[in-house]
Amino acid sequence: MTAADRTTPPPAPLSRRVSLGLAAAAAALCAYSVLMMYTATHGRQALAVNFPKQIAWVAVGFVLAAAVSAFDYARLANYFPQLYGLNLALLAGLFVFGSDAKGAQRWYDIGPLSLQPSELAKLLVILTVGSYIVHRQCDVDDLGEVAKSFALILPPMALIMLQPDLGTALVLVATWLGMLFAAGLRWQYVLLVVVVLLAVGLLAWQLHILKDYQINRLIVFVNPDVDPSGAGYNLKQSKIAIGSGGVWGKGLLSGTQTNLNFLPERHTDFIFAVLGEELGFVGAGVLLVLYGWLMLSGLRVGSAARDSFGGLVAAGIVTMWLFQVAVNVGMTTGIMPVTGIPLPFISYGGSSMWTHLIATGLLLSIWWHRRPRGVQDVREARPWREGI
Amino acid sequence: MPSLKDDLYGRIGALGILVVVTLGILLSRLWYLQVLDGESYAALAEENRLREVSVESPRGLVLDRDGAVLVGNRPALAVTVPPKTATDPVLVRRLSAALGVSESQIIARLKDKRPDPLKPRRIAEDVDRAAVTTVLERQHLFPGAEVQPLAVRKYPYGRLASHVLGYVGELSDNDKKDADFARYDYGDIVGKTGIEREYEAVLQGTKGTVLIEVDAAGRPLKVVRRSEPAPGRTLMLTIDRRVQEETERQLKGAIRAARRGKYKRARAGAAVVMDVGTGAILAMASYPDYDPGAFLGGIPTPVWKRLNDPKSEYPLFNRAVTGAYPPGSTFKPVTVGAGLATGVIGLNTHQVCNGKWVRMGKQWPKWCWKRSGHGTVGFTEAMAQSCDVYFYEIGLAFYRRDGEEVREEFQSYARKFGFGRPTGVDLAGEVSGRIPDRRWKAEFNKSSPEYAPWLPGDTVNLSIGQGDVLSTPLQVVRMYAAIANGGVLFKPRLVDRILAPSGELQHVSKPERTGRLPVSPAQLGAMQESLVAVTAWGTAKEAFEGFEFTVAGKTGTSQVMGKDDYAFFAGYAPVQEPKYAAIIVIEQGGHGGSAAAPAVRNIFARMLGGTPTDARPEDESR
Repeated sequence: MTAADRTTPPPAPLSRRVSLGLAAAAAALCAYSVLMMYTATHGRQALAVNFPKQIAWVAVGFVLAAAVSAFDYARLANYFPQLYGLNLALLAGLFVFGSDAKGAQRWYDIGPLSLQPSELAKLLVILTVGSYIVHRQCDVDDLGEVAKSFALILPPMALIMLQPDLGTALVLVATWLGMLFAAGLRWQYVLLVVVVLLAVGLLAWQLHILKDYQINRLIVFVNPDVDPSGAGYNLKQSKIAIGSGGVWGKGLLSGTQTNLNFLPERHTDFIFAVLGEELGFVGAGVLLVLYGWLMLSGLRVGSAARDSFGGLVAAGIVTMWLFQVAVNVGMTTGIMPVTGIPLPFISYGGSSMWTHLIATGLLLSIWWHRRPRGVQDVREARPWREGI
Repeated sequence: MPSLKDDLYGRIGALGILVVVTLGILLSRLWYLQVLDGESYAALAEENRLREVSVESPRGLVLDRDGAVLVGNRPALAVTVPPKTATDPVLVRRLSAALGVSESQIIARLKDKRPDPLKPRRIAEDVDRAAVTTVLERQHLFPGAEVQPLAVRKYPYGRLASHVLGYVGELSDNDKKDADFARYDYGDIVGKTGIEREYEAVLQGTKGTVLIEVDAAGRPLKVVRRSEPAPGRTLMLTIDRRVQEETERQLKGAIRAARRGKYKRARAGAAVVMDVGTGAILAMASYPDYDPGAFLGGIPTPVWKRLNDPKSEYPLFNRAVTGAYPPGSTFKPVTVGAGLATGVIGLNTHQVCNGKWVRMGKQWPKWCWKRSGHGTVGFTEAMAQSCDVYFYEIGLAFYRRDGEEVREEFQSYARKFGFGRPTGVDLAGEVSGRIPDRRWKAEFNKSSPEYAPWLPGDTVNLSIGQGDVLSTPLQVVRMYAAIANGGVLFKPRLVDRILAPSGELQHVSKPERTGRLPVSPAQLGAMQESLVAVTAWGTAKEAFEGFEFTVAGKTGTSQVMGKDDYAFFAGYAPVQEPKYAAIIVIEQGGHGGSAAAPAVRNIFARMLGGTPTDARPEDESR
């Protein structure tokens, strides 16, 4: 049985099959990333290589996205155990084969490539949670069921926190919550979950589960002047960079904060500060508009999905983007604590770029395989096999 | 059992709202940061990237009236190291050994909290070339050490005129409180005393600044803007270095001679030579003196202690303007001047001097310095012989004139002769001296009211320059200059002109009249004659024996409680066409005629081309 047998694919031109808005937004973001990589690495020997590499990541990512978009996403729902197992295996394998950098084990070094499985883990979690909810007919009115769905993401989360990478772990929680919300989790439960998460966070602080640097980041977030040359330094310099950009920015390659190295991590987590400094409020505004366009297109794809799985996956992907953008931009502008979360599509890194492009590919696939016009009921189609 | 709600669409719509709201919040945060606060962040970014480094400017030169350099500059090398060097004791020890500066001094300079914590600190100035070479060639042993060129003061004539010139040093906390130094930085070299202090604004050049762009590590990348330093302006003094040399030699010689005689405690003194027609000061000396060059690169503590030890007689103290002495008989021209001007005496007034004077009552006897008495003396004899009784009478008459209605005529005349207020000389630290009056005495004795009332004896003491009257040598010599020039009190001047660093003339100071002696030309003529009598046949006869030029002057021997007498001579020459007035004061030097007058003669001899004297006449006069 093929996908074509189940639903009648619209024998339409490419323009009907591809969500052009979504694809254009993603492509524009990638172009923006290449531009920012050019300016952020310009004149810096140590970083120069990252510019062509980022171009390569984007190019490969486009191929991956195209491939994924042509593939019927719905079949993925049938591979729940495989996907879940793959995720855990990749994350656990880090502790054996991963390479050490800055005191964290986050990468697999394969030739010239450094792959970061925690990035891919975000997608795998979206797929497995979506599959779980739909397949197990998870009743989101039942708190026990909700807890079970959370238990599902705990093992990958724990492995990621052990790397340690608190930021990505938080992305998983946010994504999970977004998907459950889309699945109909009651508002009061949403509130409850948020309160519980905050309580757990506080408890972690009290029990010193958080590492010193994580606590420092929180203290510095509350009062950046506590240690202006240490933990507060990044935050302070980032705010100066963005603020000094003004309305129009200092121009590409002309950011003094960037070029004189006041900005730390400028091609990765703090790339938004480079953008804010050199392109100003206008450039930053354009970026946020592109994100808005991307996310709203993603949600439109979700609402056109032919099945619940597609809708949930779309909701998960958009939640992931929204959380990452909010936390990263919030961090660089000083309204969120410093958390090592990259800016989707923009920050340097192959794993991150591919993850977001594959996510885009998934959305394109959902769109491609959307339900025919006029079909209102999501439930009529049962794209997954009975009983995994 | 519909597990997935039908409202998936609704929930996706809600997520859409969340997306819009979240991005809206971020956008408004950016608006606040970049648009509303953009300018202040732009300023912070500039502050981050720019460092201002100042470039020292050489101080202006100080020349004598002929253009000879009294204070110049010479290039020197300073060694600087970053403040963090203080944490490396091995390095500090190595620097100390190489530069010859004590470890504690290096540490003190490095740990000084006042200067910019990022700036390298100077730990040694005026380092000799061998040491500099060592430091430069062995950079690995002296990490961070840098050599900085400096211009330091040079004194070609050594100690000559050290009190006039003053010395320079690093800006201190005390200086910083002064409004003059409000815009200075710690580490700046500033004038501390004398001309260096008085003319700080002229001598201090304008520092150059270099605005440098630095990276986050503080590495300089490029020069953004540069303004060249402008050297300070040049001062041309009224001082004549030859007269100054002679004056200092005579002062020192007179002190030595007094000590060789009966006055073992004679160790200090002052002298001033003034142009009577302009108030220009040709020489100003104070003894003991000091070496201004010792202050370069911070004065070593033991030297500083010695300079401030009472046993050293305060060598830093310029006695010519900050020494307040009872002027003794050199004050007598004021008494006769006031007496003549008010009619208390006439040119024909005579008094009988029996040595003892009891006109204030038998229980309050006063004595003339000549216990045997001068007999009947007229105006000229009284001045020539310095007969105290004659002046007691004038003092008593003034006391009586004051009467119930307090006029204090004598005091106001004394002020018109230039006493009791600063002369206005362009030199830091000048004191007023004191003309005692009723108000002063009441205030002074506030805590012991029995001494507060003004008594006849107070006015009588004042009439011979004793008691509570205090004056500076400069005030006294200025009065003699005024007697010489027909009665004009000039403001004493030390700076004649100011030149641009290029040598271009910028300012010429003009003689400034600050008052007139309150006597008629005839009265002044009589006073002049009586002063000539002093050197012709009076108390200074022996000192001026055989001198080719006629000198008018007055000896003074003032009594200071618990000390030997202070010797004074003040006068002017040549009388026919007065040019110069001079004064010498020898603390605890004995009598004016023997200790001070010969030195003044020798100064005039040098200036006018007359014969000096070796005589140190025995003299019991005051």
